[in-house]
Amino acid sequence: MLLDVDHLDVHYGRAKALHDINLWVGEGELVCLVGRNGAGKTTLLKTIGGFLKPSKGSILFRETKIDGWPPEKVALKGIRYVFQDKRVFGELTVRDHIELAAFPTEEKIDRAIERLIGIHPKMEKLLNSKAKGLSGGERQILLIGRALIGNPQLLLIDEPTEGLAAIIISEIAHILSEMKSKISMIVVEQNLSIVASLADRIYVLKEGAIFREIADKALIKQPTLYESDL
Amino acid sequence: MLKKFEKHDMLILAVIAVGFLIFGLSTTLSKITDFIIFCIFVLGFDLYYGHMGRLSFGHMLYLGAGAYGAGLSAKYLSPDPFMAIAFGLLGGALVGAILGPLLIRTSGACFALLNLAFNEVGYFLVLVPLAGITGGEDGISLNFSSYGFVNFSNLKFLFPFSLSVLLLVAFLMLKFVHSSYGILLKAIKENEVRVQFLGYNTYIFKWITFVFSTAISGLAGALTVINYGYANPSFIDPTRNVEVIFAALMGGAGNVFGAVLGGTAFMTISNYLARYIIRWEMFLGIVLLIIAFRFRKGIWGYLREI
Repeated sequence: MLLDVDHLDVHYGRAKALHDINLWVGEGELVCLVGRNGAGKTTLLKTIGGFLKPSKGSILFRETKIDGWPPEKVALKGIRYVFQDKRVFGELTVRDHIELAAFPTEEKIDRAIERLIGIHPKMEKLLNSKAKGLSGGERQILLIGRALIGNPQLLLIDEPTEGLAAIIISEIAHILSEMKSKISMIVVEQNLSIVASLADRIYVLKEGAIFREIADKALIKQPTLYESDL
Repeated sequence: MLKKFEKHDMLILAVIAVGFLIFGLSTTLSKITDFIIFCIFVLGFDLYYGHMGRLSFGHMLYLGAGAYGAGLSAKYLSPDPFMAIAFGLLGGALVGAILGPLLIRTSGACFALLNLAFNEVGYFLVLVPLAGITGGEDGISLNFSSYGFVNFSNLKFLFPFSLSVLLLVAFLMLKFVHSSYGILLKAIKENEVRVQFLGYNTYIFKWITFVFSTAISGLAGALTVINYGYANPSFIDPTRNVEVIFAALMGGAGNVFGAVLGGTAFMTISNYLARYIIRWEMFLGIVLLIIAFRFRKGIWGYLREI
């Protein structure tokens, strides 16, 4: 098992945001988190990523306890976070983004650039463009490509298709499916047709708790059967 | 790590050198040396303000630490001017290194005001509790050794020396901001949390940058003491922080050449306008309003666009 979240509670001040979360991710598995706004999906990702400290429970990554670690330590351990808001460093070029991500992982910059171009060849032309000029889709591809630098073992991707045009959504879905067997992922996604096409397992979150786990492949392919759980 | 150093930056540095030399011919060397030293201070200040996005209201503390570091070493240890410069630089760096771990954890108004608070404490220490060694309100007068033509009391030596130091600091800062480290600073300025998620311990990088900034300010303080031949509390006076802030904003924060241009513009206004307009500070305020509303990138930012 790659990641094991055990009886996790998280508070925002005095308000309890996550209740007794139990979740696991296997090697090369793509796990989707679904649920309504405010269900706790992003809070869970942020806690695994080191942005929030749990008030109870533990997070084991390759059998190492990582709960309470700062984000930079979690990142260097091999867990990368792709945020929901697709915010890039606007004043930096695409190449600068790659260089910035490559340095702490000690990956060679040329190799890191190859990795980005490998998931989306059109990025080669944009290497010297400032990131603030990129479209929403290009930003998302840059952020996913940047997260792959340094051979991480787990990606936490928060709503990768939110606010994107349909054609870009299918491109992002294609990129994620290509990555699927090479790296483990936890993907928060509202678009159930994408969830159905990508997920190996699904956790449905409701009011800060795991309401249901769906592991049956046939069931996953039919989102109408679990749509009512959201 | 160091790369992308553009050739036209060298050309602009040459223009700055020639500009100061021509300026030096048309005014007193003492004044132009003062301008140059102030520009070094603006460079130090802008490293943390313009490049990291953290505005300090107390950078006079680090200039003062350098001034008193140099002054006290000349008074009590040795009149060697190089030793004074080294003590000035170390003085600024040391105060920055000690206060840094606390200060860099803050940002915005908290960072600005904590710096001001420490500046007030430093000013008070120099004036009262340490008056026995700092000379209190009167300060200390200094004499520096000379070695042949290396005579810091002679402005014909001090002026080109200060200009060389300014060019060296500007050159090193250009190297710095064009390096991977410079990219990191820009990223921290834009979104520190996201940089942490890339695997960086941003506190360490902020601390190192802060110490560089205070060390350059300390160097400016040491040169100020050598130029004036004394160290007094005006070199650590918190009310003078506004000067360096105005200069950085005027020139264009976050740019090496903007800092030099802003430092020169501020010193020109404060030295020459005062001859014609009694309340010249009001003019400075109007200039700042125009910059805030019309030219947010400062003079250099505007020049780059046209």
